[in-house]
Amino acid sequence: MKTFREVVQAEPLTDQVPETITGCYISDLLSDVLARIEPGMLWVTVQVHRNVVSVAAMKDVAAVLITCGRKPDAAIIAEAEEAGIALMATPLSTFEAAGKLWEAGLR
Amino acid sequence: MNAAPAINSAARAGDARRVGVAQVLVYELRVRDAMTRPPITAAPTDSLRAIQHLMKQHKFSGVPITENGNLLGVVSIEDIINALDRGYIDASAAGHMARNPVTLREHFSLVRAVAEFDRHGFGRFPVLDTSERLVGVITRGDITNCLMQHLERRAEEALAHEAALRAAQVADEKAQRVVIRARVRTGDYDSAGKLSQRMRTVLRERAIDPEIRRRAAVVAYEAETNIIIHSLGGEIVATIDPDKVVIEAADTGPGIDNIEQAMEEGWSTAGRLPRELGFGAGMGLPNMKRCSDKFVISSDSETGTHVRAEIYLRKAA
Repeated sequence: MKTFREVVQAEPLTDQVPETITGCYISDLLSDVLARIEPGMLWVTVQVHRNVVSVAAMKDVAAVLITCGRKPDAAIIAEAEEAGIALMATPLSTFEAAGKLWEAGLR
Repeated sequence: MNAAPAINSAARAGDARRVGVAQVLVYELRVRDAMTRPPITAAPTDSLRAIQHLMKQHKFSGVPITENGNLLGVVSIEDIINALDRGYIDASAAGHMARNPVTLREHFSLVRAVAEFDRHGFGRFPVLDTSERLVGVITRGDITNCLMQHLERRAEEALAHEAALRAAQVADEKAQRVVIRARVRTGDYDSAGKLSQRMRTVLRERAIDPEIRRRAAVVAYEAETNIIIHSLGGEIVATIDPDKVVIEAADTGPGIDNIEQAMEEGWSTAGRLPRELGFGAGMGLPNMKRCSDKFVISSDSETGTHVRAEIYLRKAA
């Protein structure tokens, strides 16, 4: 059985990445994420701004998956590391990543 | 008059191990604390009639007869009745008093005094000091009065103690207050979340419930980003008390045209740059309101926008 990281071809950007997630929320709007994501979920976004780290930390999300091959600056990755936020990057588009996660059984 | 009910009433029913205040008091208090002093006495040469008048005047049922401070005997109301009955009321006390009366010592505990009253059935006892001199007289009523007075004093002390505790608690809560203040500049997207993060650190150190912590963080963060995106700049103050966080955000303008519209989900006036960064979802104010226990917003073009949000930190029982 593949892990969710393998399913979405995720490259870990931070040292710590989780083995399990409790669900997934996809949005590029920060306030929308603040309103709807639950602790322990995977957040899929194209945003690479440092506010991604702030929002992820605030909601205790399990990990952030950044799509479309985008990667945040090293400084932001360092901030995530410090805040204990797992960042991952995938070459897949948000649509493809979502489809593969759904296919793999994540609900 | 019986002192026993006063003692029992202070002990809580159904809690056998609980020792009531009155129970402690009857062991702690001494006969000298309750007795009447100096005692009203008569001389052995006084007539029984004079002693009868003394009794009437002071409402006594017995008078100690002394000589140079030494107790010789007691004349009781019964002795007076006998004297009236048999016609020797004008005789002196010396020949008709009860000699060697039962006495109490001034250092006896009240619990022992109560036991002596129960044992002998007397209304009063002469009280002697260690050198055998008469120093007072004690009745059951004296014991009850003494207990009541001390109970009242203890009750007042307890109330004062409680008030002092409460005052100390209030002072302590004030001492635990942490105020985080941050100036927020227009367009400073990189600084968004700084105050929120400092606040979260304090709340985590205080072991506040994670869900409550997240709500407070969302309110602070949205307040910060609102000022960054929409205003000419402003200030945010987060006041953390043991029971709640108050987040106050004030900017210098330009004010919100239509607050009702701004409170609607999805309505945003954010420009292109903030939208590209993921701001401008039109959910900032609704998020703040949803995450707050109390939320007040006011705005006009003169004074800018002011938001006050409270988040209660103690979980509702």
